[in-house]
Amino acid sequence: MSFLEYRLKTVPTGASKILHVNWALVILLTAVASVGFLMLYSVAGGRMEVWAEPQIKRFLLGLAVMFAVAFVPIWFWRNMAGLAYAGSLLLLLAVEFFGSVGMGAQRWIELGPLRLQPSELAKVTLVMLLAAYYDWLDIRKTSHPLWVLIPVILILLPTALVLTQPDLGTALLLMTGGAVVMFCAGVSWYYFGAVAALLGGTVTAVFASRGTTWQLLKDYQYRRIDTFLDPSGDPLGAGYHISQAKIALGSGGWAGRGFMQGTQSRLNFLPEKHTDFIFTTLAEEFGFIGAFSLLMLYTLVLAFCVASAIQNKDRFASLVTLGIAATFFFYFAVNMLMVMGLAPVVGVPLPLVSYGGSSMLVLLAAFGLVQSAHIHRPR
Amino acid sequence: MIRKPLRPLARILLAREKGENPDHIERENIRLRAEDTRARAQNRAEGRLLLLGLAFFAAFMVVGARMGLLAASEPMEPRSAASGANISALRADITDRNGRILATNFSTHALYAHPKQMVDPARVARELAELFPDMKADDLERRFTDGRSFLWLRKKLSPEQMQAVHDIGDPGLLFGPRDMRLYPNGKLAAHILGGSSFGAEGVNSAEVIGTAGLERAMDARLRDPAQASTPLALSIDLTVQSAMHEILEGGMAMMNAKGAAGVLLDVHSGEIIAMVSLPDFDPNDRPNPLVKGEPADSPLFNRALQGVYELGSTAKILTAAQAMELGLVNPETMVDANAPMRWGKHKIGEFEGKNYGPLLSVTDVIVKSSNVGTAHLALKIGGERQQAFFKSMGLFDPVPIELTEAPGSAPLIPKRWADIVTITTSYGHGMSVSPMHLAVAYAAIANDGIMLPPTLLKRDKLPQGKRVLSQQSADAAVSMLRQVVTRGTASFGEVEGYEVAGKTGTADKVKKGGGYDKGKNINTFASMFPASDPQYVLVVTLDEASENSGPKPRRTAGWTSVPVAAEVIRRTAPLLGLRPQIETLPATGVSAPKP
Repeated sequence: MSFLEYRLKTVPTGASKILHVNWALVILLTAVASVGFLMLYSVAGGRMEVWAEPQIKRFLLGLAVMFAVAFVPIWFWRNMAGLAYAGSLLLLLAVEFFGSVGMGAQRWIELGPLRLQPSELAKVTLVMLLAAYYDWLDIRKTSHPLWVLIPVILILLPTALVLTQPDLGTALLLMTGGAVVMFCAGVSWYYFGAVAALLGGTVTAVFASRGTTWQLLKDYQYRRIDTFLDPSGDPLGAGYHISQAKIALGSGGWAGRGFMQGTQSRLNFLPEKHTDFIFTTLAEEFGFIGAFSLLMLYTLVLAFCVASAIQNKDRFASLVTLGIAATFFFYFAVNMLMVMGLAPVVGVPLPLVSYGGSSMLVLLAAFGLVQSAHIHRPR
Repeated sequence: MIRKPLRPLARILLAREKGENPDHIERENIRLRAEDTRARAQNRAEGRLLLLGLAFFAAFMVVGARMGLLAASEPMEPRSAASGANISALRADITDRNGRILATNFSTHALYAHPKQMVDPARVARELAELFPDMKADDLERRFTDGRSFLWLRKKLSPEQMQAVHDIGDPGLLFGPRDMRLYPNGKLAAHILGGSSFGAEGVNSAEVIGTAGLERAMDARLRDPAQASTPLALSIDLTVQSAMHEILEGGMAMMNAKGAAGVLLDVHSGEIIAMVSLPDFDPNDRPNPLVKGEPADSPLFNRALQGVYELGSTAKILTAAQAMELGLVNPETMVDANAPMRWGKHKIGEFEGKNYGPLLSVTDVIVKSSNVGTAHLALKIGGERQQAFFKSMGLFDPVPIELTEAPGSAPLIPKRWADIVTITTSYGHGMSVSPMHLAVAYAAIANDGIMLPPTLLKRDKLPQGKRVLSQQSADAAVSMLRQVVTRGTASFGEVEGYEVAGKTGTADKVKKGGGYDKGKNINTFASMFPASDPQYVLVVTLDEASENSGPKPRRTAGWTSVPVAAEVIRRTAPLLGLRPQIETLPATGVSAPKP
């Protein structure tokens, strides 16, 4: 169904849109971000100006962007999808050539006062484009091989660019985000089954061949995989983050050590304590209860998104909402699993909580899309 | 799939008959079909959403469960390390015979750097150089910036230094825990303990390995993980060791000696109760070995064990004891003592050209320390039997004690045992052994003629001894030694109540390239106490001592080593639990007063 079929009279216009904003979602997002402010204040040793203050400013800016995006009709964003995607691809290419290097990877591009991470942008524009694609595509062609190949290429293009930065975490998020949109659009099970079987087969073959005459990888490559899979074997090298984070989680216990009482993070044992590993501070200071509460907040954000997507009769709106929800989910799931030592360390921040500008802005803009889809849903 | 035709012919014909527009039917059918498709797509999408929701939920469960698990877990420091995970810093303590700590472990920290993580290498280099004067700021900065990713800076840090380094506050400076060996008594048993240093070193631990002395000789036992919690008990008594150390230090200064050594041996068990060599060193900060010059000039040199010198007159009692053992003489037998005695082209004289002849009893040969008398005894014994006896007394082999330096006590023995060698060795010249050898040999005499292997470890069970002298010969020898103190050369050795018996020995140092170095004496007093039932043997040796209170320097053992040894006995005998005794005098016909 396209926007031309909307009965436009029932879609709110003008200032009445404010009434139709998904306020519950706004409150949830603010709550999550506030947890972040608290933690950044604590990690900085009780100082606002180090991390918390810039973060609050950015959040307010992000909220403004979110509302701006939300009040623009969703069909405008659908028409913009192709352009946005092309733009983010160009930015990714620009980063290849003009980007600044930080922490051993080339990810940033300087735009005046703003340091933009195009890979963050790509996550949202990819979801937009794929949603628009499936909105445009005749529903009967969804599982046709040719029409499956096109979105696969659309996903692989930015993924490849991000991988060269190198940024494995974002590349994985791009792939899984795109895959979720394809899945929700109704692409046949067989494709997902085939990909899963292929991946599983490769992994099995690689491991099964270890130590045999037809060994597929070199020994040192296996050792790298070992460290990757089990960082506790190398607690001062690759596993350093993980073991310190686990200590923080363990020392937090059920109720935590109390606000500003965390040792592990405050005493500089933890690297990236204000960015990717901020969750450990929360876990240490507020314990299981605090950490689980944050998980619940995230779950509620997700639940509201999914509910909104199900209500929405517009295919683009529904797919965009789901795609963004999925990206958001992968963000915090990967981060939490990584911090808790269940996933390898890939640089994925905790959404809305970790210190970082472009990630928060892009996420809030994406939630603007979700809001727009919610406000302008066909009734 | 059966599809409804969009333009059903029958209905079109029917409509045309009614005069309606048949296109309407097609449009209506298209709309119905689209609705149908959408409904099916909607169903499918909802199914998938449900599945996705389930996947999300499963992920939440995993994250939540893991959170709970971690929250419930005890916080644990990572124990295995990247490098050196298999390095064990375990090392057993060493105690004296009463359980007082001689060597233990102390946790400290090593300092290393990850220069690539440094915020400001120049500042770090500057502040480190201020903390540690031996470090140079520009040198450090060069090493921090030349691209290496790892750098040791300091093996051990005191807590204060560690705090100071902490305060520099650079993330590139890191600490690794270190177990370090600590010798709380400092110099007191330095030569026994030896020393230790780090072996294999990792960031998180380092092996402590023995480098000298007992630490090295017993390295395997000390590092055995199964016995790490059981301290190694030595035969040393820290109190006695301390007293002897103090007195020898004082005696060395008083007698202007350049070195001193003392050995105190329990004659019934072979345990070494105290062993001191001066000058000494602090095993906590072991000096480097000398690169050139005499090894004996290094404080590391253990005079009691490695100081292999001619025995001098202390050997005479061995000759006398063997002669009695073989039944050649008894203590009252008169032997030729006419000095000087001629043997081929050699002339054997007495100290300061005296002549104790023409005849002297065997007892007096010892009491007066007659070279000539001893030489005649040796000639009666003969070279073969003399060598066999010396060997049985352990004088031909290194002392088998638990020190790395023990092989350094290998005696210097003439290659050919000519008659002149038999003569000179009988009174302690021409053959060099250590003070420890002498102590062991005297202990055999004191222990009723039974030879026990010496040890530095506490003995729970007595080892099988080896009889080298009969009880009578041993008793007779002790009695002669007692008379050396009561009326002979060692009169300064008398300690009231402890019946000291002993023999002095003054030997000239052998010059490099042969001959003797006049005026460079090794003065020895080998003693045992109490004479009526000897419990302990004490050997005190002073290196180049001279007693200068008189008009001319006196260099004999009687004037130097003997008073020092007497002081050692005076101080240590009560510590060893010996009661002062009133000597039982032989009955003289005077009846005891009636009570």
